[in-house]
Amino acid sequence: MPKTKILIVDDELIMRESLGGWLERDGYEVHKAASGEEALELIRNIRFDVLLVDIKMNGMSGIDLLKEVKSSDPDAAVVMITAYGSISSSIEAMKLGAQDYLLKPFDPNELGVLIEKILESRAKTLENLYLRDQYRERTRFESMIGQSPRMQEIFNLIEDISPIDSTVLITGETGTGKGLAAKAIHTQSPRCEGPFMGINCGAIPEHLMESELFGYQKGAFTDAKENKKGKLELANGGTLFLDEIGEISMRMQIDLLRVLEDRVFYRVGGTQPIESDFRIIAATNMDIETAIKKGQFREDLYYRLNVISFKMPPLRERKEDIPLLAKQFLFRFSQEMNREVNRIDRDTMDEMMLYEWPGNIRELENAVERAVVVCKSDSIIPGDLPIFSPELREQPLSGTLMEVEKEHIRKTLDSNDWNISRSAKALGIDRSTLYSKIKKYGLSGNG
Amino acid sequence: METSIHRYLENIDFALDHNRNQYHSTAVLDRLSSLDLPANSRIVALTEKDLFIPILTHVYGEAELGGVSCIVSSSRLKDDLPAIERDKLLGNRIIKEILHELGHTFHLLHCRDKSCLMHYCRSIRDVDRKVMGMCRYCSILLEDQLKRG
Repeated sequence: MPKTKILIVDDELIMRESLGGWLERDGYEVHKAASGEEALELIRNIRFDVLLVDIKMNGMSGIDLLKEVKSSDPDAAVVMITAYGSISSSIEAMKLGAQDYLLKPFDPNELGVLIEKILESRAKTLENLYLRDQYRERTRFESMIGQSPRMQEIFNLIEDISPIDSTVLITGETGTGKGLAAKAIHTQSPRCEGPFMGINCGAIPEHLMESELFGYQKGAFTDAKENKKGKLELANGGTLFLDEIGEISMRMQIDLLRVLEDRVFYRVGGTQPIESDFRIIAATNMDIETAIKKGQFREDLYYRLNVISFKMPPLRERKEDIPLLAKQFLFRFSQEMNREVNRIDRDTMDEMMLYEWPGNIRELENAVERAVVVCKSDSIIPGDLPIFSPELREQPLSGTLMEVEKEHIRKTLDSNDWNISRSAKALGIDRSTLYSKIKKYGLSGNG
Repeated sequence: METSIHRYLENIDFALDHNRNQYHSTAVLDRLSSLDLPANSRIVALTEKDLFIPILTHVYGEAELGGVSCIVSSSRLKDDLPAIERDKLLGNRIIKEILHELGHTFHLLHCRDKSCLMHYCRSIRDVDRKVMGMCRYCSILLEDQLKRG
């Protein structure tokens, strides 16, 4: 999970620097703006978890900035900072939707407690979205097919490595089927009778990750009403699949490394060591070696995971598999939706073969699903796949900027199966920004 | 690790803020960092003066994150000392805060583990609650930094 982002808006350099330095030591990612105008420029590209705004500034005042921020993002958490004697402005700010205000200079305790409170309520929203994400993950396609030489190589490799109990690292772009490859390795391994436990490290808020992996003892924290087994324990005798491993925090990297070394761990709040026998398969679309150079990923963990590794090819490098995959999806969706659509016409298939499929198999799957819904005969024609229709492709965008943004976000989420991490990556924004926009536009996975 | 005591600064009056009657810790750090120090060394300043940074009412200490200098004040660490073993407890508090600030010079951030030296103390009770050592995570991260040099 990415770091919490805080924006400090103050026209006094010394205030920005001293507050910024203090928050950085607390582990926050701090951005600074010397004016309201500069802050708005930053907000356009980055979604901040908390904004600390000085009320009295030259140029745009803190109150004016608050109004601007709230009009475009009503959920933004804004804390006003004010000097003694400007209490009336602070009250006005609270009426305009500011979360709270601080009188400067403030006690370090006040700010710490306030930020924690804001982040706690934000975490609850993330948790709800994560649960929905998890549900959708379970309903994803289950098969893995391909006749191309690239896929034949992958199948042979999987056959070779499945019986060996070594850790496997699968790399490859989003939507190339890394999860399916992991499942295939499990199914062909001696552990196939045991469980296959998957966890998407990129979709789980950091505060949930520890208890999700290690489980917890009753009473370990307020909501721990009973003992709960974590994925590590549940994977006993089987395979643990860690998807999007590149997204885990440094702390979790340390914990995982210890588990890989000792095969022993403790539940959160637990004192008894727990042993679990599982094979680890990890996957990532990240360039881990670059992350190591940047100090974002532990080299020792990487070498532990990277005992055997292979890359899943992107769909554009195995285009000969498109017809087979498309027909498989067509068959499944027409059955599921009880629709008599049983073929894809030649022009449509030509278009499909020409397209580069940046979202890979998942994008193809979603395109076919949509086509089955809108198709008016028993055959899918190019018009049923609007993204391939030249007329529609060249049509200028209509609607307000907000409408265009909403539609673009919705399409990206759909083509990424509502996986927040992948969608955020495809959109070039961070996850919290995406969560905020989902909320802002009232988008949901059910249409 | 080699440790030595030097009298680099006669006083920190240059950092005094007359309005607040407190000393600006960042100004002291800037002065310390300009000193010609041996490679890979860290410098810890200890003062009895009350320290502040402009936005906060006070700080127990301050360090340059990933830098060379840090400072700790014993002023507020003297609060609520018990009648017995005062000196021992005060000594422990000072050592804990020095190690905490030194941790920052090795890129360590605040830790959520309340017993870890890198936990950020909001009150003197928090300082007393910390043990004289780092949690497993912070120890590993410190080792990593020491290996990197």
